Amino acid sequence: MNLLFGLSPFLAVGVGALLLMLAEAFGKPNVAPGVETTDAGAGRAGELALGAAVILVIGAVLSVAVWVAGPESLPELTQVAPHLVIDKFTLFFSFTLCVGGALAALLAGGYLPEHGIDRSEFFPLLLLSTVGAMALSAAGDLLTLFVALETMSLGVYSLIGLRRGSPRAAEAALKYFLLGSFAAAIMLFGLALLYGATGHTDLAGIGAAVRSIGSPGSTVSAGKILISLVLVLVGLAFKVSAVPFHQWTPDAYEGAPTPAATYMAVAVKSAAFAVLLRVLLVGFGDERLASWGAGWPPALAVLAVLSMTVANLVAGRQESVKRMLAYSSIAHAGYALVGVVAAMRSPEAVSAVAFYLLAYTVSTAGAFGALILCGSRGAEAVSYEDLAGVGKRHPAAALAFSLFLFSLAGLPPTAGFFGKLYVFRTAIDSGLYTLAILGLVNSVIGAYYYLRVMVYLYMREPAPGAPRAVTMRSGFVATALVAAAIFVLLLGMAPGFTLDMASGAALTAR
Amino acid sequence: MSELVQVYLPMFLVFAVGAAIVAVFWLGGHYLGPKNPNPEKLQPYECGNDSDGARGVRMSVKFYLTAILFVVFDIEAVFIYPWAVLFKGLGWTGFLTMLAFIAALLVALAYCWKKGALEWES
Amino acid sequence: MGLTGYLLLAAALFSLGVFGVVTRRNAIGVLASVELMANAVNLNLVAFSRHHAGPTGQVFALFSIALTVAEVVVGLALVLLLFRAKGDVRIELASELKD
Repeated sequence: MNLLFGLSPFLAVGVGALLLMLAEAFGKPNVAPGVETTDAGAGRAGELALGAAVILVIGAVLSVAVWVAGPESLPELTQVAPHLVIDKFTLFFSFTLCVGGALAALLAGGYLPEHGIDRSEFFPLLLLSTVGAMALSAAGDLLTLFVALETMSLGVYSLIGLRRGSPRAAEAALKYFLLGSFAAAIMLFGLALLYGATGHTDLAGIGAAVRSIGSPGSTVSAGKILISLVLVLVGLAFKVSAVPFHQWTPDAYEGAPTPAATYMAVAVKSAAFAVLLRVLLVGFGDERLASWGAGWPPALAVLAVLSMTVANLVAGRQESVKRMLAYSSIAHAGYALVGVVAAMRSPEAVSAVAFYLLAYTVSTAGAFGALILCGSRGAEAVSYEDLAGVGKRHPAAALAFSLFLFSLAGLPPTAGFFGKLYVFRTAIDSGLYTLAILGLVNSVIGAYYYLRVMVYLYMREPAPGAPRAVTMRSGFVATALVAAAIFVLLLGMAPGFTLDMASGAALTAR
Repeated sequence: MSELVQVYLPMFLVFAVGAAIVAVFWLGGHYLGPKNPNPEKLQPYECGNDSDGARGVRMSVKFYLTAILFVVFDIEAVFIYPWAVLFKGLGWTGFLTMLAFIAALLVALAYCWKKGALEWES
Repeated sequence: MGLTGYLLLAAALFSLGVFGVVTRRNAIGVLASVELMANAVNLNLVAFSRHHAGPTGQVFALFSIALTVAEVVVGLALVLLLFRAKGDVRIELASELKD
């Protein structure tokens, strides 16, 4: 019984996904009288979105429940370890992932019908992909790591391609798919070498084997360990879209339906960071590999600096707000990587990254949601010009947009401010002054393009004759925005509770 | 420095030898293979029969769909075989686990069926 | 043949796959190359499994095969999608550097 309770967040979302599949296929299509359809899901995006959101909220609530009960007081959970490691770290991330997924589902409930994308497969796919993401954050074994990574990714590839008949969407999906499976194959090669070098597939066993290098009688080859580290890092850097493994990001986000882009930006990234932290700290936590002079910290530091700088410079030159948000997500991967580097010295940095990703999840989902709200059928808001004058015509939409942009820029009193503060503080505590300063400088540069959106919202008038963005009306999108806004303000004004929860999320395996 | 070389050497060796083998096969085929094409040889190979019709005959998309579904359901047998071999040793836990796996597959099958993916005529 | 032989063969297959991904312009060709890479890894896994005298690597290989199949299926579906939308399955992976 305790085992079922401990696994309940995963079971709720997994079983819920299967039930939603059946509900989608066996329901009655909701189409105008006289219209023939063979698709049982036709016209039912609303109810399915509600179903998906409810299932994911249940998943989030159960994550909190298990967190409060304390996974360490459930000894039965060792039965599923190391394949699924249910600790506070996992539960914090599964909460973040469920929240991100639920927001994306709500946005889709408004976006898909508005833009005539009648594909109710979206919601089962979203749930199945979220199960993969949650399992990824819990993976303590190379096997589950790979299975979960693929489960998550396959769902996402399909989500991007859902817009039928659009060459752009199809090309974006295929390109992301090919690059993604290329990266997955490279990573799989690394995982195989890791198993070959150590004889273990569980991360704890690998960590012990890596520590034994150099001691008498150890047969573990340092060379193989290093190659596998590099290969695994490449695969995961692709998933978190760190520069220089980011090229797919803007195209995929632009071609994807906006809710799918939202899901990629928040859930895929958070889950990839969770597994990155676990692999590095548990599997490669040996002092010789996790030090400033050698191993993964300098490599990740380079990725972090490149991601922040390149993404910020390029984001400022985008004409499409969706592309700008894509580059913004790359820059945020850079900030979070600063925290990952700091994790080599301070366990607190793990909590900082966890908190940062929760803040990033609600802010980014909110920003994409506000962008969705600013457009309507046939007039999807894409470019800065489309947003001109929205502040006067639709103050509520503009206000919500501004709040989320504030948070992304890291200004108080929002979630993003505390996220950045926490990450950079742990970086300074770990003596990484240069990284922290570069991060701060980049935050300032980043503020430029976030504020530019607000300039258009409030201070520009649309050019005469230019198509004006008409905001859409949707209870789903409004609900998602209100929920995200509550999170952003709550985390920004009263972060104490969540910070406490995050500090419990430190990886204990070390 | 020497330590660094020692550590990375196996890595470079593996990739260098891998690349070298590829290069040998590729260049070897390119340069050593005799090339005397004649019209007979340039014909597309169709199991020894004379080729009928131009290339690029459009296959019905239905074949792809059926093939895709076949492959997906076929590969699940990979997991059922080892389970069947160890059936007695796994006891009730193993049985229930496999039951859950098959239940998930059944949901997928029902989904395909209802969505019309199994219809040949439509 | 010892472990090294298998590893070298796998490295060669893997390099061929990488070469294919980089040079192919046809989406199906790229897909096939990625599969070649995955199969090279499976060979590695089975060889390591024998080296460590345990079934773990073989189990890993089985899972990897199943996942690869799932990947191919999604990939083919996406290729079909592109073909229907555009009438062409050529794809430039390295293009779009327009930033």
